[in-house]
Amino acid sequence: MKQNSMLAMILAGGRGSRLHDLTNKVAKPAVSYGGKYRIIDFPLSNCANSGIDVVGVLTQYESVELNSYVAAGGRWGLDSKNSGVYVLPPREKADTGLDVYRGTADAISQNIDFIDQYDPEYLLVLSGDHIYKMNYDKMLAFHKERQADATIAVIEVPLKEASRFGIMNTDGETDRITEFVEKPPVPESNLASMGIYIFNWKLLRKLLLADMKNPDSNHDFGKDIIPTLLGDEKRLFAYRFKGYWKDVGTIDSLWEANMDLLSPDNELDLSDLTWKIYTEDVTALPQYIGTEARIQNAYITQGCVIEGEVTNSVIFTGAKVRPGAKVIDSVLMPGAIVEDGAVVIRALVANGVNIGKGALVGSADSEHIELIAKRVKGAE
Amino acid sequence: MYKAFGIVNSSSRNIRVEGLEDYRPIGAFSFLGRYRMVDFPISNLSNSGIDRIQIYVKEKPRTLVSHIGTGRHYNINSKSGRLQILFTDSDQRNNIYNTDIASYYENMECIEEMHHPYVVITPDYMVYTADFSRLIEQHIQSEADITLLYHAVDNAKDAYLNCNILNLNKQKGVLSIEPNHGNAKNRNIFMDTYIMKRELFIELIRKAKAISSAFTLADIINELHNELDVRGISHRGFFASITDFQSYYDANMDLIDIKAAQTLFDPEWPIYTRTNDSCPTHYYETAQIRNSVVSNGCQVEGTIENSILGRGCIIHKDAVIKNSVILSGAEIGEGVHIENQVVDKMVKILHVKEVVSDPALPGYIKRRDIL
Repeated sequence: MKQNSMLAMILAGGRGSRLHDLTNKVAKPAVSYGGKYRIIDFPLSNCANSGIDVVGVLTQYESVELNSYVAAGGRWGLDSKNSGVYVLPPREKADTGLDVYRGTADAISQNIDFIDQYDPEYLLVLSGDHIYKMNYDKMLAFHKERQADATIAVIEVPLKEASRFGIMNTDGETDRITEFVEKPPVPESNLASMGIYIFNWKLLRKLLLADMKNPDSNHDFGKDIIPTLLGDEKRLFAYRFKGYWKDVGTIDSLWEANMDLLSPDNELDLSDLTWKIYTEDVTALPQYIGTEARIQNAYITQGCVIEGEVTNSVIFTGAKVRPGAKVIDSVLMPGAIVEDGAVVIRALVANGVNIGKGALVGSADSEHIELIAKRVKGAE
Repeated sequence: MYKAFGIVNSSSRNIRVEGLEDYRPIGAFSFLGRYRMVDFPISNLSNSGIDRIQIYVKEKPRTLVSHIGTGRHYNINSKSGRLQILFTDSDQRNNIYNTDIASYYENMECIEEMHHPYVVITPDYMVYTADFSRLIEQHIQSEADITLLYHAVDNAKDAYLNCNILNLNKQKGVLSIEPNHGNAKNRNIFMDTYIMKRELFIELIRKAKAISSAFTLADIINELHNELDVRGISHRGFFASITDFQSYYDANMDLIDIKAAQTLFDPEWPIYTRTNDSCPTHYYETAQIRNSVVSNGCQVEGTIENSILGRGCIIHKDAVIKNSVILSGAEIGEGVHIENQVVDKMVKILHVKEVVSDPALPGYIKRRDIL
């Protein structure tokens, strides 16, 4: 298959520091989600399902695990000829002393040489931290149909929450963007930017080259590039997305996004065979459910061994719930183990963490979800 | 490892698994929910460092071919390694001609072009794990001509009736390979696994062909046992031979117990299979499940006990499934009661409310059937 006209770049450099110990060793896009996935599986699978062949992944913070994870492009089917997933960490170049990405736009600017190899007509810029299913090909069709210079995907949010987002003010009829306001105290519209952009590459390339040299720029799409485009009276349009979209910035929201999967009518619908989310193929056994197990309202994946009780919880690859243990309203990340008689309530147990025999973690009436990132000793 | 190439052999003429085999060869049978039978021999070879593998198929190859594909999921080096699927035409008029020797003879060119000094032959209808690199070392050290793998069992009167047994002397020399007539409890079941030099293998194929068109590899080894030094090596760990419907059902049931499963599965010895990219399994409010093995992508609202669910099964409210093997994509309707069944792929049981068989004679529901 010939490489298509749109190339995707995923911004995956963010640390996600509000996820605390979960992102000590991995960047936010590599954080586990939904039993068997990582967050970055969503934009990558969306690209693959949208017929995009070449995806650059811009990494920066703690990128060893993310780099090696993403480099196996075959996982998402992005492995035919002319296709691939390319990991693009900052590199030292002959003419500059730069070794970090100074902002979202700078991350693209520093990889103009990479993009030029493919000479795409359109550039799709995505964030690696969001959970959603979206057909970018439909967004491109909208972009072409509006003869846009840039298109920004937006989602309607409740007006009272709009001041937490970057908000697009539009002309209402054609959804042409008139103004972009970052976190407005008094929002005029409820169209929040999803951090998904389609640009005409030639135009963006010119702007990025200028932006690189501008000492006053933050080198950021939201703060610099979009305002410049609007200032130049370019045609910017808002593409309205309907469906599930979640930015899992905090432990509470990561927990919540997992809990959303338990709702019978959840909009994300990971079981949809026409839009599969691809991920690493692990060689674990099927799920083993023991003789004393009780499972109600749970999302459980391969490699798990459930011998105790699981209620309202999401259990990730290879996690184990031993006899007499109870896991309630909780998330067990890959390889977490809840030993005999231990109880986990309203908690998120990090990768590989062991909850010792008879231990109690979390509490039923806590305001926030407790993150358990270190081994909890049990009663011996 | 450059020493040996691998052959995954399909079942011989006297084996027939009623029902399931109408649709696919035994190698393509779903096993324990997420695997197919052929995953075990191929993973054993791959984990042993053997990455030139020939897979012999006789009939209905479609599902097997699509499962194996490029073989990439078996962790085989994409340049030096190769998975070859070799077809042989079956003789439709008389099954007596459909021997392993006939398959090898028909593909002699492919065997001759292998440059490895040794060959490991392993069946696709038996479930076990073994490190062939160690067995090859043992074989070389023993200076035997042929090494055969066997499993000592104490229930040969009632099970393994389509298998061969090895008669051994005290030094583990093989005196003969014979059919299991079920007249003794303790037997050394032949695991249809051979290690020998490639040269000898080719010689045996030619000799067998010259003596009788109906000879199998086991027959020619028996015939020449006075000239050959044939030794047995005992296998430990889980072993199942899927050589009739009951043994298929039993082998699945045996592995519901995690302790039993741990004698087959070792984290250091992964069993590879083709991923289907199914999402995790969703257990709803009304689900009741215990002592079962479940694959990904299922939706469970009903009750499941002592059973195995393949990928993407839908179990509706008030459905009850006991002691059954449900293959992938099956749907069990509201209030349907199923007991002691093997339910083939994509079956929908919606209108019939009770499908219960005697535990001694489990039932079979045909592929894609609607009940």
